[in-house]
Amino acid sequence: MSGSLLLDLIDKICVIVVAAYLITRTRRFSEVLDGKLTPKNQGALILIFGAFSVFGTVSGVEIAGVIANVRDLGPMIGGLVGGPLVGLGAGLIGGGYRYLLGGFTGLPCSIATVLAGVFGGAVYLLNQRKFVGIRGAVVFSVFVETFHMLLVLLISEPYSEALMVVRETGIPMIASNSIGMLIFAFMISNLMKERDTAQERDEYFDELEKKKLELNIAREIQQSFLPETVPLLKGFDLAATSHPAKEVGGDFYDFIPISENKMGLVIADVSGKSVPAALFMVLSRAMVKASATGNPTALEVAKKANDLIAADAKSGMFVTLFYAILDQEARTLRYVNAGHNPPLVLNGVTGDLTLLKTRGIAMGVMDDAEMEEREIEIGEGDVVVFYTGGATEAVDERFNQFGVERLVETVRKNGHLPAAGLVEKIIDEVLAFSRDAPQFDDITLMVLKGEKKG
Amino acid sequence: MKLDDKSSGDVKIVLPEGRLDASSSDELKVKIDGLISEGCRKIVVNFEGVEYISSSGHRVMLASLKQLRKTGGDLKLASLKPYVRETFEIAGFTQLFEIYDGEDEAVAEFGK
Repeated sequence: MSGSLLLDLIDKICVIVVAAYLITRTRRFSEVLDGKLTPKNQGALILIFGAFSVFGTVSGVEIAGVIANVRDLGPMIGGLVGGPLVGLGAGLIGGGYRYLLGGFTGLPCSIATVLAGVFGGAVYLLNQRKFVGIRGAVVFSVFVETFHMLLVLLISEPYSEALMVVRETGIPMIASNSIGMLIFAFMISNLMKERDTAQERDEYFDELEKKKLELNIAREIQQSFLPETVPLLKGFDLAATSHPAKEVGGDFYDFIPISENKMGLVIADVSGKSVPAALFMVLSRAMVKASATGNPTALEVAKKANDLIAADAKSGMFVTLFYAILDQEARTLRYVNAGHNPPLVLNGVTGDLTLLKTRGIAMGVMDDAEMEEREIEIGEGDVVVFYTGGATEAVDERFNQFGVERLVETVRKNGHLPAAGLVEKIIDEVLAFSRDAPQFDDITLMVLKGEKKG
Repeated sequence: MKLDDKSSGDVKIVLPEGRLDASSSDELKVKIDGLISEGCRKIVVNFEGVEYISSSGHRVMLASLKQLRKTGGDLKLASLKPYVRETFEIAGFTQLFEIYDGEDEAVAEFGK
């Protein structure tokens, strides 16, 4: 290979780099990479790669009356990327142009160009309508150019001159087309990777956006079904709040007026997170309310609510629920604990701690669940703290839990505060404890304090 | 979270590790659902490595238990740490699940 021939080839490679860049960045080309082989896209690619093939011929370097060129490159790539039709079309343009130029290698050279496109299309089909990749494309181009040379030997007359042409141009033809293919294939595969990454990124952000929206919806559902005000009681001070976590659970509390002296109190924690939990919370809340109409006992309410919820509970959804009826006249609390964190009662006189446990199981788990009702008297100065797992399971950065003991301690220290003040104090303490650690669960609290008999 | 599983005869043993919160519970659910759809009907969940379980974790256990019992299978729990055991007790689930001190006992119970 002479020095000037090499320089010419390098010169051409530079042109190919630019052409490859421009072609691969067209909209038509990227649509075809997406598999959108519309007639318009195919037509556009035929014209682009046909023109590129003509350019290959025109820019060729003449050796012994034969042009060493990258004419086959356009149809090959067209076929590899856009299928047989694109390959054939581009090949016919490039090959047709070559045929018109004539010369004793005119026929085999134009046939080779057409077949280069058709073969490219065949590879595309064999590779399940996908681009074959960098290595595959380069190997393919070596084969096609070798085949091109064989055609010249077979068809061109006289044989001796054909042999000379092949000797002179064979290696440069194979080399320049392979290098050209390498450049194109490299750009195509980069482009495909880029697009995949972009798609993944978009999907990730879509997912994130969706999750955010879901959490907002869940929070709104949950907050809109919590009581707006706390009822005024005779001889008792009552307060409640729910501090939603970033990932909303299905905590709720409720007050159900039953008679002049009786008030139903509910605190509950639905399993799971986000919208499903919020919806299950709405359902459970309605079932408890419905079960509490008339003047049933706490046990009757709990059993009925459980059966209603169990009938609707799918995929293991359940709600731990504490239901109590406060009798303001008798100053008693009759309660059923359906699998909920047992509320704490601190005796105002002795400082004794009682946990409000009963036999029972979370609601929605089984029909006809066994439940039990108990009763406790609430004297002046007694503090009852109803809470959900979010309070005691809040963790610091080392995953230590706030725990029941800290909760009891906080209540002991601040028992003199009014109910609303105590609720606020407990939330503050829990949040101060977990500081920078993310809050995993809603913190829901209800405090009932016995006051002077009214 | 780390989530291994192994076999002992026709019993599959699942070994979650760490905190069973909302997201890791989803992983556990996928794992157990996979075992069930492969035809496994006897599953032991070894809680030895579980420090914490949230209501989402309870829910996965409950859903799997219901699904297995419906088709004549069962889910047994083994090696619960005191805190984890307490959460099952509070929710009343100790009357629902068979809970064993060790994995071997739970597996052996399937053989009876």
